[in-house]
Amino acid sequence: MATNVELLTVRNMSKRFYGTQALDDVSFNLAAGEVHTVVGENGAGKSTLIRILGGIHEKDSGEITIEGTPSEFTNPREALDAGIVIIPQEMQLVLDATVAENVMLGEIPSKKWLGFIPMLDRRRLREQAGEALRKLNYHGSLDISVSRLTFAERQLVVIAKALLHQAKIFILDEPTASLEQREAERLFEIVHSLKEQQVGIIYVSHRLDEIVELSDKCTTLRDGKVVDVSTRGHIEKENIIRLMTGRDLAELHQPHKLEFGETLIEHDNALSLRRGEVLGLAGLLGSGTTDYLRNLFGAGEEAVAMKLSGNEVQLKNPIAAIKHGIGMVPGERRNALIYDLSVRDNIVLPHLPEVSKGWRLDSKQIDKLVADLIEALDIRPRDPKKLVRFLSGGNQQKVIFARWLIGNFKVLLLDEPTHGIDVGAKVRIHRLMREFTERGGGVLFASSEMNEVVNMSDNIIAMRQGEIIATMSRETGEYSEGYLREALGG
Amino acid sequence: MTTSNENQTAAIVALPEENEKRFTVVAILDQMPLVALVVLCLVTAILSDRFLSPINLTNILLQASVMAIVAMGMTYVIISGGFDLSVGSIVALSGCVSAWVMLETNVPLGIIAGIAVGGAVGYLNGYIVSHLKVNPFIATLGMMVIVRGIVLLITDGRPIYGEDGLPEIFLELGSGRFLGIHYLIWVPVILFIIFNWLLHMTAYGRRLFATGGNREAAFLAGIQVKRVVTSAYVWCGILGGVAGVMLASRLQSGQPTAGEFYELTSIAAVVLGGAALHGGVGKLYKSMIGVFIMMVLANSLNLLNVHSYWQRVAVGLVIIAAAAADQIKSRRN
Repeated sequence: MATNVELLTVRNMSKRFYGTQALDDVSFNLAAGEVHTVVGENGAGKSTLIRILGGIHEKDSGEITIEGTPSEFTNPREALDAGIVIIPQEMQLVLDATVAENVMLGEIPSKKWLGFIPMLDRRRLREQAGEALRKLNYHGSLDISVSRLTFAERQLVVIAKALLHQAKIFILDEPTASLEQREAERLFEIVHSLKEQQVGIIYVSHRLDEIVELSDKCTTLRDGKVVDVSTRGHIEKENIIRLMTGRDLAELHQPHKLEFGETLIEHDNALSLRRGEVLGLAGLLGSGTTDYLRNLFGAGEEAVAMKLSGNEVQLKNPIAAIKHGIGMVPGERRNALIYDLSVRDNIVLPHLPEVSKGWRLDSKQIDKLVADLIEALDIRPRDPKKLVRFLSGGNQQKVIFARWLIGNFKVLLLDEPTHGIDVGAKVRIHRLMREFTERGGGVLFASSEMNEVVNMSDNIIAMRQGEIIATMSRETGEYSEGYLREALGG
Repeated sequence: MTTSNENQTAAIVALPEENEKRFTVVAILDQMPLVALVVLCLVTAILSDRFLSPINLTNILLQASVMAIVAMGMTYVIISGGFDLSVGSIVALSGCVSAWVMLETNVPLGIIAGIAVGGAVGYLNGYIVSHLKVNPFIATLGMMVIVRGIVLLITDGRPIYGEDGLPEIFLELGSGRFLGIHYLIWVPVILFIIFNWLLHMTAYGRRLFATGGNREAAFLAGIQVKRVVTSAYVWCGILGGVAGVMLASRLQSGQPTAGEFYELTSIAAVVLGGAALHGGVGKLYKSMIGVFIMMVLANSLNLLNVHSYWQRVAVGLVIIAAAAADQIKSRRN
């Protein structure tokens, strides 16, 4: 770092929501040109910290100082005026407006036509937007609508917009959660170029590799408290995990098997899933893995022919798949959960016929089933009547899993099962997958995180543009992340 | 709430005592419609001594009875994530068909025909919305106009009561009493028990909530979402049919102009009762409270001699206020 100008200082900040101490005496500082990462499990206080800095929540106590001046803000507008901007996960862009218009939104330049009629100044609009975007290495068109950009490019537009607003402090909230490897690398370049412009960056992520790579400083939160602040050179993955969860994670390393039971699903000579097997479906974003899993579940456009336990079948809809003992966890939680229903109702949803006596729901049986699952999966809070809406991401994911642990399910199709959840919950989901296969089930899981696929799977199939292009087995020895990347990169 | 003491990592778990406090606040907000109804009744009773007279109360109940039945069906449709603008026209069609059939044949057949034709229109609505994927607003708006047109066509715009009026037994239904209470009030009470059970205690009810709350998630959980959505419109049509027959017995004729604005009043009542227009949220008894708010409000304004034009303005304001209050509530959650 060239300079060490202190941009932001947070001192002794606390925040309580109803009964929860979300932040407890947190101090934090950020220098110009520095990347300061914040890590922690879901519910550790990361979001609260970010949201207070972004003016979305108000702090209960503590001080915020920006470039030496004590600052107070009560809404996002004031935070923005103070130079703080959050680049959120779900970005708010006007999808139908052009790239240039989006960058300049809020400060659209105008000119006076004939000296008095105000008109949009297109030339200046394009010039200013273009300049901001060029600094970020964007060389695409300025005149196409944002809806046609990739997710990564949209992030660029948001960042360019913030730069034009003279933002000095960027809060990047899980910026790579929806990016594939190459796009993520491009984002890292942008982070570096922002550093050079003496911007301070607060970076929140669940991905520990990038945290180690990017951080100048790393703050770990647990239960609303700062448990550690490390500087570059002293930031280690294993250590972060231990600090975040308060547990040692030898469990991360899963046992693998080479012997499996009978074949459960066969499709197209390319896919074959056996009892006891975790089969990884590797593919970059947009490679067709999601559609592939949906088709196997009977939720695609057309019914595909496959063999289930040796019998030819065509699954017309999810009802048929469920009857055959196949369960699915879709890639996005909002496609799996009914947020306005309780944990209990969400869990028993696919099993309503089995838990009914005639037309009437058998409440006793349901309560027993659900209580057992909540206990077994450690779903918190332990309240079956809680609306799923109020659960954290990791716990929501467990609810979706719990669904398929009722009854005799043989096959689980999982689409990005650990997307956007913290390390602790991730380990638990991985353990659940393992346990499911130990009881004789088979798991087919898609992931764009190569690391995860290679660590979790017994065998891997690689997919590109909806076609299976390679198969990797631990037996053959050619089983590594490098080999997989090569197959997919093509 | 959990009593586990190993919750250091579960930041979402609230401490018990604060949780109870919060629970009380939410519970009161949750019962706002009931509070509003009680306040409305108290205020009216103070301002007008006629309000609590048996005649007036019976009158309110009779007016509420038909609307309550329509609102039950509307609750189902709104929970399924849609709404039904055609139900007012269904009320008219069912009343006229029922009157016409019973004049041609007999009373039971007339009643059945009236209800069945309501169910048939409901099925069409459901089919258009769930299979042809037409927006419920457009689909049922079209159906509202079509059905009203058909009613006017088959009746030639004139009420149906034959040469000597409708059969005596049928008129008895509209004015007779059982245990001192009008038949017309018994009907919604019984229907409420049945449809409340169906909505809140059965697997079908869970499917309806799930489908309205998140159609894609319900589909992936193995629910036949199209069938469920269609069923909601069928219930709405059937209940609209029952309401139409009841109205015919009260008006002693099949009226082609009956049921106008019933769709709007019932939607307003359901929304007043806290159901969400995006679907997946609602309680049948709360919709009934909504109906009573609408009915008592109209009655109260009448008793207080408020001009009927102003009454409309007042009703509109109440609906918007209720929706705004609901927004504030969901933000507090």
